[in-house]
Amino acid sequence: MPPMLRNSRESWGSLARFFHWAVAALVLVQVALGLAASAWRLSPMKLDLFVWHKSLGFVILLLVLLRLIWRMVNPTPALSAGMSGIERLGARASHGLFYVLLILLPVNGWVINSAANVPFSIFWLLPLPAIVAPSPALAGTAENAHFVLFSLLSLLVVVHAGAALRHHFVKRDEVLSRMLFGPPRT
Amino acid sequence: MIRRALTAVHCLALLLAAAAAPARAADWRMEAAGSRLEFTALFEKTSAPGVFREFDTRLRFDPDKPADSRLEVNIKISSADMNSTDINNAIRGAEWFDFGRFPQAEFRATDIRRIEANRYVARGALTLKGVQQAVEVPFTWSAVPAPAGARGTFAGMEGEFALRRSAFGIGSGEWAATNVIGAEVRVKFRVRLRSDG
Repeated sequence: MPPMLRNSRESWGSLARFFHWAVAALVLVQVALGLAASAWRLSPMKLDLFVWHKSLGFVILLLVLLRLIWRMVNPTPALSAGMSGIERLGARASHGLFYVLLILLPVNGWVINSAANVPFSIFWLLPLPAIVAPSPALAGTAENAHFVLFSLLSLLVVVHAGAALRHHFVKRDEVLSRMLFGPPRT
Repeated sequence: MIRRALTAVHCLALLLAAAAAPARAADWRMEAAGSRLEFTALFEKTSAPGVFREFDTRLRFDPDKPADSRLEVNIKISSADMNSTDINNAIRGAEWFDFGRFPQAEFRATDIRRIEANRYVARGALTLKGVQQAVEVPFTWSAVPAPAGARGTFAGMEGEFALRRSAFGIGSGEWAATNVIGAEVRVKFRVRLRSDG
């Protein structure tokens, strides 16, 4: 049987799984780059780390937008049958919050870059237009917001991974395995 | 009688001298309001523009006889503004412009030649961050109508040229590498001048 590209009501298709794991991996790299770039002393290395961090932010934004479109034109696999009302609410809210944060973080980064008025081209190729006028005050506020959003995202990743492990090892349902492997082979 | 004859001779001599002497080159002073000195660096392969907010130009120049010219430009380096707090804080440091030790730069030229029509080149010495280098500055010269009610003659001088920052030790140490901050800096000027002569 060829791998299923589209989702079904029971399981995730290969494209949705690709989006999930690609965004997961890139977010981890992105966090490492962001922390390294902000901690690094002012040097050519620091400027390069920021170019990588900002460029990757746009890759993640693009992937998340494509992922949302793909989600809209596909059935979404049903939540596990054994979940209580509060568990269902928590699952839906946390998944929604992921999308919100994964869009807000790059857009907020774009605001920081524009307000700080640091010249930047995505991967050194595509000059990024400014979305706000230069303003040191706004740059400072947006930087604080970036840290708050990052903290929320980190917390959400821990909750999300913890919940996935609980589904797999405690509730022993299909939630983790269908995101890892798709529908069970018959 | 003798006295009167002497006066006449004197007047004649003065007239002859005036006719024989070349037209005196005019002295020009810069009008800060209509003048701008810009520079553009390359930051991570992206254009990074800046200006020197304070500079002054003095010029002795006759566009038809540029040989007897003298151009003096004084630039307040510490007035550099790249419209970014982060970058402005960085460029004041010792590895870049070093505002503390070298707050001023100057360009002096006595060799101005006409290239064609209204295009000239000034060959002179640029002293920047304590380093003196020979620099050629091309410019165009144009007469500018005097603003309503203003006295004197007005002219405009504009041009563009490139400098290598390494020649002046701007961006030293690890910043000497040119992949992050480009080797070349473009300088662009538009100067408005006034002469009362």
